[in-house]
Formats: sequence, C-alpha cells, structure tokens
Amino acid sequence: MTDYTPAVTGTGARAVVQRFGAFLAGMVMPNLGAFIAFGLITTLFIPDGWVNRIAGTQTEVSTQISSIVGPLIVILIPILIAFTGGSRVYGHRGGAVGAVALIGAMLAPVALQLTPISLNGEETAPPASIADIGPTILAAFVLGPLTAWLLKLWDNAIAGKVKGGFEMLVDNFAAGIIGGAMAVVGLYVVGPITFWITQGLGALANGLVNTGLLPLVSIVVEPAKVLFLNNAINHGVFTPLGVEQAAGAGQSIFFMIESNPGPGLGILTAMLLFGPRAIRPTVPAAMVVHFLGGIHEIYFPYVLMKPILVIAAIVGGASGVLWESIFGLGLVGPASPGSIIAWAFVSPPDQIVLIMLGVIISAGITFIVGALLLGFGRKESAVDAELDLEAAQEKSSANKKASKAAPASA
Amino acid sequence: MATIDGSSIKKLIVACDAGMGSSVMLASTLKKQLAKNGVTVEHSPVAHIPSDADVVVTQSNLANRARSVVPDIPVIPFQLFLGDPKVAALVKAIQNGTTLEV
Repeated sequence: MTDYTPAVTGTGARAVVQRFGAFLAGMVMPNLGAFIAFGLITTLFIPDGWVNRIAGTQTEVSTQISSIVGPLIVILIPILIAFTGGSRVYGHRGGAVGAVALIGAMLAPVALQLTPISLNGEETAPPASIADIGPTILAAFVLGPLTAWLLKLWDNAIAGKVKGGFEMLVDNFAAGIIGGAMAVVGLYVVGPITFWITQGLGALANGLVNTGLLPLVSIVVEPAKVLFLNNAINHGVFTPLGVEQAAGAGQSIFFMIESNPGPGLGILTAMLLFGPRAIRPTVPAAMVVHFLGGIHEIYFPYVLMKPILVIAAIVGGASGVLWESIFGLGLVGPASPGSIIAWAFVSPPDQIVLIMLGVIISAGITFIVGALLLGFGRKESAVDAELDLEAAQEKSSANKKASKAAPASA
Repeated sequence: MATIDGSSIKKLIVACDAGMGSSVMLASTLKKQLAKNGVTVEHSPVAHIPSDADVVVTQSNLANRARSVVPDIPVIPFQLFLGDPKVAALVKAIQNGTTLEV
C-alpha cells in the first residue's frame, strides 16, 4: 500500500471511500454519547417536550434544564469532534491543539459578523454572541486532524535536536504556538470557508426538501449502506447536516435517512418467508439484532446474497423519506444505533405516532417489493439455496486470492 | 492458501468498520464459545486492528481493508453475522486444536 498506487477498480474505489468515510465517522462515533445526551435533554425539556406535555404547563424546571441544549450542540460537540480528530492523528496532544484551533473557526461568524443565507424568505442577521452560532462540525473535521498533523510534523522535524532538559519547554510551547496560530487561521480562513460551505449545503438540502426531491437520495444511500458505507454516510454526511439543521429548527429529517430501520426489517422479512431455504433459520435472530439492537450491518449480507433486493430497499427507503417530508417530520438528534428504540427516544413528542408509522410503511413497502423480486420463493429449492451460499463463499475466496495475487495489496 | 493451527490461536480479533456495532456483537458470541480455550477475543475498527492478533475475523466486504492493515495476520472473511459456516469452522478448529485452511 505504501509505494504502489493501486489501479482504481470497483473494490479499490470502494475501499478508498470506505476509508475516508470511516475517518470522518471515526471522529463522530466515539462521541455519540454526547449526541444522545443532547437528544434526550431536548425531547424531555424543550418547551414542547415530554415533561411540559405531561405536566400540561410550561414548568420552570424544564426552562432551566433546556438551557443546556444549545451549548451542548454548538459548543461541546464540535470541540469533541475536533479533539477526537486530532487525537486520531497524533494522540492526546494532537487532540488538544485541534480543539484550540477549532475555537477560532467556531467564533468566525461572531468576530467577522458573517450573515447566514436567508432560507424561505426569513430575515437573517449575523450572530450577536457565541449563543447564536451554529455547530461548526465541518470546521472540526478539517482543523482537528490538520492541526494535529502540523504538530506531528514539527515534533518529527526537531526530534533528537533538543538539548537535554529542555524537551518539555519546547514540546509545550510548540503545541501552544501551533494551536494558537491555527486558531487565528481558523478565525480568518477555515472558519469563513466552512461557514459558507455549510450555508450552501444547508440551502441545497433545504431546496431538496422544498422541491420534494429528497426521497431520491435513497437511490444512493441504500446501495451504499449495504456496501458497508453506512457509517461513512450517516456520521460523515447526515449527522453533521442534521446537527446544523436541528440547532436552528429543533429537529432534522437528515437524522432519519440512513438510520431508518424499516427497509432492513422489510428485507429480512422477505428473506424469512421467500429467501433461500438454507438461510431462512438465521433470519429471526437477525431481525431482533437489526430492528431492536440497531445493528444494520446484519442485514447487508442478505442483500449482497440477492443483490436485486437493493431495489426493494431503495423503494422502501424513499417511501419513508417521502412520508417524512410530506408531514415535515424529523428527529431531534441522531438515532444511533438505528434501532426503533433509539428512534422513539429522539422523536419529538407530537410526531412520534407519524414517525413510527413512517418506519412501518418503509418496512412494509420494502417487504412487498422484496417478496415480488424473490418471486415469493417459488423459484427456490433447498439445493439451489445451498449452492448459492457455497457460490457466494467461493466467490469471496476467489476475490481474496485475486487480491493476494494483485500488487494492490503489496 | 494458508493453514492456521487452531491450538496456536491465543488472540482473535473481530473487526468491523467502526468497531462499535457488529464486531462487538460477534465478539461477545465468540467470547462465550471460546471461554474454555484460553483465547482472548476482542473487537476493533478495521483500521486499527492490533498487530499482536493471531487471527482476524471480518465481514468479506471489509476483508481487503483488514488485509491492508495487517498483511501478516490471517484474515477470515465471513458472510453472515449470525450462523456463518466459516466462523463455525474456525471455532471448531480452535476448540479441537485442529488446523484450518484459510
């Protein structure tokens, strides 16, 4: 992998995308606990949350507790992501300088008085203070790893050249100077650039929702999921977009697109009733792990075994997105893992029934299309099925041999 | 084709993309099955497989990435997260101390 660049083949390109996506998702996923805390506090304590609904009035305690919501999402979560990105590149010190650098970019809209793009004709004004900024996750993705990498370069360049006894002085000041300098770069360069990119992406996403084209993203999302790009797509793309939207609107449909457990449940149900007989006994346990445990990976192999089923997943996924956009539904935070239980916890109280219906609809439609594509199991015999599984395994061991022979894995 | 000796396996790694979901599930199953054999079973993201592993188990779509991370450790790709014959064969080889072609 080091001195040879492999030809970009199907698997090669996929591995590159997988790796880049895993790099982004790797900055988000260790911090999912913070996202969940944000989601839970939001559904419980916002003015329209569970506590006030059950109490039947605006309670003082919910007003007090809901003050935590904003800082969690616009301050803490981007810092955690920048820290994690930095520490992936260069340990704890890398994380620390990455977080320092992010603060510059985080405050760019306040310091430089950047005016957000107006969506749907509403008035916009530059943020008056840190309380009005949006979550700067894109800047965190860039500055965390980049600043840590610069520190690593510096440390490597001076390794062995520092006079004995001065190592700590040099190391600490190097980190402080690089972190501080990158905070200034963040404020004047990275912050404004990522601010406008985020604004543009937000406007584009808003346009997709308004024109009713959002369900079309399922054409990309569902096939990419079963190729194990699920985390890359969800936590590399949709979680940052959703957080941006939820910080303003209180909820986002972007948290629903990849994490909807409906299509996977539909695929598994179709496989249980009409799939190859040899594998049907493995399906019920997979259904529990998928739908309740939220581990979607468990249904991907069934789609890869019968690739035509990806059409069922696309149609079912798009139906869910269509339903959610018609009724203006959204989750308050990322549902991770994509379990129906996680969904229930981050659903706004007034939408929970419609949201659950949407999951059932996408599961039902995926199942119906899947059953049609499997010919209701009529074409299957037990012998065929075993051949299928063996063939799939032979194919993968053939792939393995090919990859061993190819210089790509050298 | 390499041959691995089930009795020499002391550390088995289950790898998945994030190292948080499916690998944790399969690792906890294998941990129970291999508890009596003195095998350490751990889960990890495919990009951070520890280099002291004796064998790596991962979904076949992630196998090439696993091999590029740890080229010298045998990687066993499987299809299904539950009840896959390849995983069952590995468990049997470790329990009985027999060899396995990978």
